[in-house]
Amino acid sequence: MLYASEFIGRPVVDADGARLGKLRDLLAIRHGEVPHPQLVAIEVKQHSGSVFIPMHEVAALISLAIPLKKKFSEITQYHPQPEDLHLVRDVLDKQIIDTDGMRVVRVNDLELTRVNGSVYVANVDISGVGLIRRLGLGSLADRLTARPRSSELPSIISWDNIELLSTDQPMRLKVPTSKMADLHPADLAEILSDLTRQEGSKILETLDIETLADTLEEVEPDFQVSLIERMPDDRVADVLEEMAPDEAADLLAELPQDRKHELLKLMEDDEAEDVRKLLTYPEDTAGGIMNTEYFIVPAYFKAEQVMERLRETAPEAETIYYIYVADQDEHLLGVFSLRQLVLAQPDALVIDFMEKRVVTVDLMDSQDDIAQVVSKYNLLAVPVVDEQKRMHGIVTADDALDKIIPTAWKKRLPRFYQ
Amino acid sequence: MSMWQRIKPFRIRLALLLAVIGPGIITANVDNDAGGITTYSVSGAHYGYALLWMMPLVAVALIIVQEMSARLGVVTGKGLADLIRERMGVRVTTVILALLVFVNLANTVSEFAGVAASMEIFGVSKYISVPLAAVGVWFLIVKGSYKIVERVFLVASAIYLSYVASGLIAAPDWSEVGRALATPSFHLDVGYVTIFVTIIGTTIAPWMQFYQQSSIVDKGIQIKDYAYERVDVVIGSLFAVFVASFITIACADTIFKSGLNIETAKDAALALGPLAGKYASILFALGLLNASLFSAAILPLSTAYTVCEAFGWENSVSRELKDAPIFFGIYTAMIILGAAIILLPIQSLIQAMLISQTFNGVLLPVILIAMLVLINDKRLMGKFSNGRIFNILAWATAVVLILLATILIVVTFIA
Repeated sequence: MLYASEFIGRPVVDADGARLGKLRDLLAIRHGEVPHPQLVAIEVKQHSGSVFIPMHEVAALISLAIPLKKKFSEITQYHPQPEDLHLVRDVLDKQIIDTDGMRVVRVNDLELTRVNGSVYVANVDISGVGLIRRLGLGSLADRLTARPRSSELPSIISWDNIELLSTDQPMRLKVPTSKMADLHPADLAEILSDLTRQEGSKILETLDIETLADTLEEVEPDFQVSLIERMPDDRVADVLEEMAPDEAADLLAELPQDRKHELLKLMEDDEAEDVRKLLTYPEDTAGGIMNTEYFIVPAYFKAEQVMERLRETAPEAETIYYIYVADQDEHLLGVFSLRQLVLAQPDALVIDFMEKRVVTVDLMDSQDDIAQVVSKYNLLAVPVVDEQKRMHGIVTADDALDKIIPTAWKKRLPRFYQ
Repeated sequence: MSMWQRIKPFRIRLALLLAVIGPGIITANVDNDAGGITTYSVSGAHYGYALLWMMPLVAVALIIVQEMSARLGVVTGKGLADLIRERMGVRVTTVILALLVFVNLANTVSEFAGVAASMEIFGVSKYISVPLAAVGVWFLIVKGSYKIVERVFLVASAIYLSYVASGLIAAPDWSEVGRALATPSFHLDVGYVTIFVTIIGTTIAPWMQFYQQSSIVDKGIQIKDYAYERVDVVIGSLFAVFVASFITIACADTIFKSGLNIETAKDAALALGPLAGKYASILFALGLLNASLFSAAILPLSTAYTVCEAFGWENSVSRELKDAPIFFGIYTAMIILGAAIILLPIQSLIQAMLISQTFNGVLLPVILIAMLVLINDKRLMGKFSNGRIFNILAWATAVVLILLATILIVVTFIA
């Protein structure tokens, strides 16, 4: 993550190494529906005034010196537009007020993020650490970041939670502070999904399969469909294999029958099998939203064996925070958390430290019921079993709460998995 | 045109004026606080009329500075700390605020020194009066209504007028006073330069610009009413300097002419002798107590307000404690520290009060330069930025202040 404060005031040099001046300001524009402003130019302070260099001529934003791609004489300067947002002049240090008009804090720093070669304003840093960084005490700021915060305010607010109506008015929060949760620092997916709404599948084409799969998992199913509509089948099949089976199943369920079967045929056999199984359950039941990649060990394992197994196979599982214990026929016997595992003696037997009373949900339980269970017992995931107590999958908390909490909020929940 | 019709526009204007008026006059009145009274008294008692010539110039400077602060507030709708933070960034803001908090704390100490000094005249020990005053002031602001408290203090500050009365009764030689007003003098000795800077620092105290501008913003005064706000500022400034001049004259006529010195607050009370006779001490003590309490409430309040403004935290007295914890935290800390320092064994309360005002004089040019940068920012002020003549006057004031502060530091160092 880049911080605006890290390169403001730094020297700007062109391709010949000639020093142009100091970086004074960053100019950004807001495209229609994309809430995050995109950097379009930098303002460089010279003795005789300012020059504006378009962003595409800037080789990199780094804190020592900012290099340009060409010689200064070869660069066509940018002409500032009236609607341009001058981030240092208009945004940095601005007062933020909450929905009731109460002063909350000021913009102490801005977090920028790079997506496909463009730089966007991702978040607004309102933390005291941000303030210290601005004072030029970067190393102290880093040391403080390493410590857990005690404040009830989040340290960063996503740009799209803030409204900037005019540059001489305070910025207003769109949600009450009491409902604000801390943002994941690199919330790239959200920006991508905002972008794709506007720029369509064009950007998705440039992404690799893995990033594309991750991105698709973050957007709404009906929107997923519109994104892959014009994508070639073999590419979609690759993406589906990469996606978690429950997400892939959700996506396939939205597609016309013909294309669904075509895609399933193109997918690798065992991946397709998982998805097929999931597709047989109604969409809003445990079976429909469950994930079939979970971590399972026999009861006679020792703690150290479990650890070994985890290292080998864990990358496959959606969550390794809970480890399930089952017999040969997949009858669920118990569960233990990663914490319990770590604290157990290496030679302790799983059967001795596992939790034998497991909270489970039934394959046909509705999503609402699962959400109730998850929140009642404070679970990160809940196993899905049939009448014989055979385990079929797990439903993670975020999938369970999906329906109750709007997607935008879900993304702000802390992530325990991945 | 009937008589009524001719009077009507005037009546409307008067009503508007009365609606707008307040921030300027209140700020100017708090200006004559414990430190102020002490400084003017010492100036009169030790130098007679010799420093009187400064007062018209100080009045002009005060009007220039306070008018700029009022204009900044009315045009931008933001406080001075707001503007400094938004235009000059974190580093400048932090430096200025650190200095301001320090100087304001020194001033708060002087207010509690004023409480201690005035109560000692009644024979009450500072170990009783100061803690009581601190707790009282805290409760008045946090639990009471600020507006009412402000009014009470304001009315009580009419006691200042007793200096005017006393000065008049003492019947000085007015031609001598007139001559003194028109005869500038300057000496390069520590005492003289110190009292010089101190007089400026106490009259044009840095916290006043922050306080007045925030009050104006709080009151929501619009650009169309700016002419009235200017009247408010000018009347307030003139009144403050008028009272200050009379304190100097009264002290010059009584203490200086008798060849005495001000060592304790009781000595300063002699200036009210011509008016109050044997009750002079009581009158003086009441005036000083009122001024000290008023400012002991407002200075911590102004400091808390300014710091929160700069860092963007909630900062209103009308909020609940839990909604503005940092605000009330700073307010409380200022009062506790201010009172605690005075409870230390301090040799001379008079000296304590004087030193804080000298700090004011040294910080003032920094604030003034920040204000000048802001008010000349066309993007911010548009057509309301400074005119050329005003700029020359304001920059001249800043330069003179910097020179004086430098001379003071150099002279003190040599001595």
